[in-house]
Amino acid sequence: MPWYFYLALKQLFPTGRRFPFFTAISVLSVALGVALLIVVLGVMGGFGFQIRRMMVDTEGEIQIKARGLISDYHSIVKKVEAVPGVAGATPYASGILMVQYQNKPAFPQMRGLDMGSVERVVSLGKFVRIGSLDALDDDSVILSAGLSDALGAPLGSTLEIYTPLMLARKDVEVILPRSVKVVGVLEVGQQQLDSSTVYCTLRLAQDLYGLVRDVHGVNVRIAPGANEDEVVPRINAVLPRGVQAFSWRDSFADFLWVLQLEKNMMMFVLLFVVLVAAFLTMSLLLVLVLKKTREIGLLGALGASRREIAICFCLQGVLIGVVGTGLGVVVGKTLLYFRNDLVRALTHLTGGQELLARFYQFSDLPEHLEPRDIAVIVIAALVLSTLAGVIPAAIAARLKPVEALRSE
Amino acid sequence: MSNAVISARGLAKTFLSGDRRIEVLRGVDLEVSAGETVSIRGESGSGKSTLLNLLAGLDAPDSGTLTWEGSPDTGARRRATYLGIVFQSFYLIPELDALQNVLMAARIIKGPGAPELARAKDLLARVGLAERSHHLPTQLSGGERQRVAVARALMNSPRLILADEPTGNLDEQTGSAIIELLVGLSAETRTTLVLVTHNTHHAASCSRQLRLHAGRFE
Repeated sequence: MPWYFYLALKQLFPTGRRFPFFTAISVLSVALGVALLIVVLGVMGGFGFQIRRMMVDTEGEIQIKARGLISDYHSIVKKVEAVPGVAGATPYASGILMVQYQNKPAFPQMRGLDMGSVERVVSLGKFVRIGSLDALDDDSVILSAGLSDALGAPLGSTLEIYTPLMLARKDVEVILPRSVKVVGVLEVGQQQLDSSTVYCTLRLAQDLYGLVRDVHGVNVRIAPGANEDEVVPRINAVLPRGVQAFSWRDSFADFLWVLQLEKNMMMFVLLFVVLVAAFLTMSLLLVLVLKKTREIGLLGALGASRREIAICFCLQGVLIGVVGTGLGVVVGKTLLYFRNDLVRALTHLTGGQELLARFYQFSDLPEHLEPRDIAVIVIAALVLSTLAGVIPAAIAARLKPVEALRSE
Repeated sequence: MSNAVISARGLAKTFLSGDRRIEVLRGVDLEVSAGETVSIRGESGSGKSTLLNLLAGLDAPDSGTLTWEGSPDTGARRRATYLGIVFQSFYLIPELDALQNVLMAARIIKGPGAPELARAKDLLARVGLAERSHHLPTQLSGGERQRVAVARALMNSPRLILADEPTGNLDEQTGSAIIELLVGLSAETRTTLVLVTHNTHHAASCSRQLRLHAGRFE
């Protein structure tokens, strides 16, 4: 082992002596910064991952859309389902409705589902809280949880539905709404869908919007293990002109960009915690260099080169970084593992458990940490700790042995 | 080319103290042959330590030349193997025990192996610290620390030992024991010794005695 590595280790972790306060403070500060980054990015990644999963669960990984309506959707669904990597395809119709229950109006999004194929793409059944998806027919609807709460319409109640098509008719004096029965309440856990959506059969949606046999699009679920970016071109190859397939990533590009931006900003802001730890390490190493001035002179007198003396002090920054980062990763991962217990304890104390679940739509705090995130955190912490050792190392290397030995 | 272990010609050194120029050394000539023991005496401020620093290559003279066995290379790498230095203040590394402090001299040249470890233990035994090799400097007395420093100076089998007032921080009895040890080990290992001291008795134990006065040898 080169002497500078040996001495750096001994100065940080001397044998048979108490763990030096200087080392403990430096290591802990780096560890806390790294642990904080891991916890925050893990939870943020968890939110993003959970939301992505919910979106894919409710709309499939691929959407097929046309500039206008898609007319021959039966043949499109058939062709698409024959494409390798596709598990299923289902047509849908969507639009805005006006819904009224006991003079309470609402303007939800309508989602018309093809009951024969929807379960091959979207597992809506598992999100039904009250009632059943099987009870849905051309004269009934399922309400999203938020809409159900807002209207106060119980299971079995009758709603009145108006469409823009009805309101645009000028040949009638009295607009007659379509009456439908509420047969279920559905909650997918996505705020946008849960706040105000009416689920109905595709035929009812086509009827309400005067689509006859046309649809607005087709949702596609890919087979397990298939890559959506590879499947999209294959689907496009079998689609007629004017109809195109988009991956989920393309459709939610803006949302994903915002999520990534938020995550990057959080990482940028929290990296300042590690930067502060690096400054602390640097100031403590500077004190160490001052304290060890005569020893630095001795090393020079014993024949150590300036470069080796610089490496000795720079290595102390690296070692603090390595130990601190390692400890930080362990502490961060442990905190993430026990995150729900910690949140439960915290919300129990503050009494905000239900509010938290309602606000975030998750009963448990999600967590998802990509290996890339850990790699970025570890590399950033190690680079900053190494840089923290550079200035003290340069000062140590500049000391002339004869002057260092004379210092008081 | 000179065959002397160390040869200095016309070494001069001036320090600035505010606006004042202090001529510490004014053209010192010194030649020490292999196996010789030389003492340099002089009152405080006579330039003894400055001369020793120049001889060790730790500082550069304003004028004059210095050669080690005829070579002007007095750089850090050569110093590691050619010289052993004993200081007044011991300068042991507090985090290392006595054995590791002695081994440090060998570590700076290369990673120490079994022969170096054996030599370090042997040297500690020769300075009477075999039982205390795993004691930290804070657990040793002043005399014991200086013994460790002597063993460290001999670790790389140097051609020359430079000792700068090695008894300055020790009581008379311990100081004498250290000088006896230093001179004895130098003779035993045929290592040249240059000893800076202001103690007449200690100086007398060397084969040649020099006295520095006002920056020159008398």
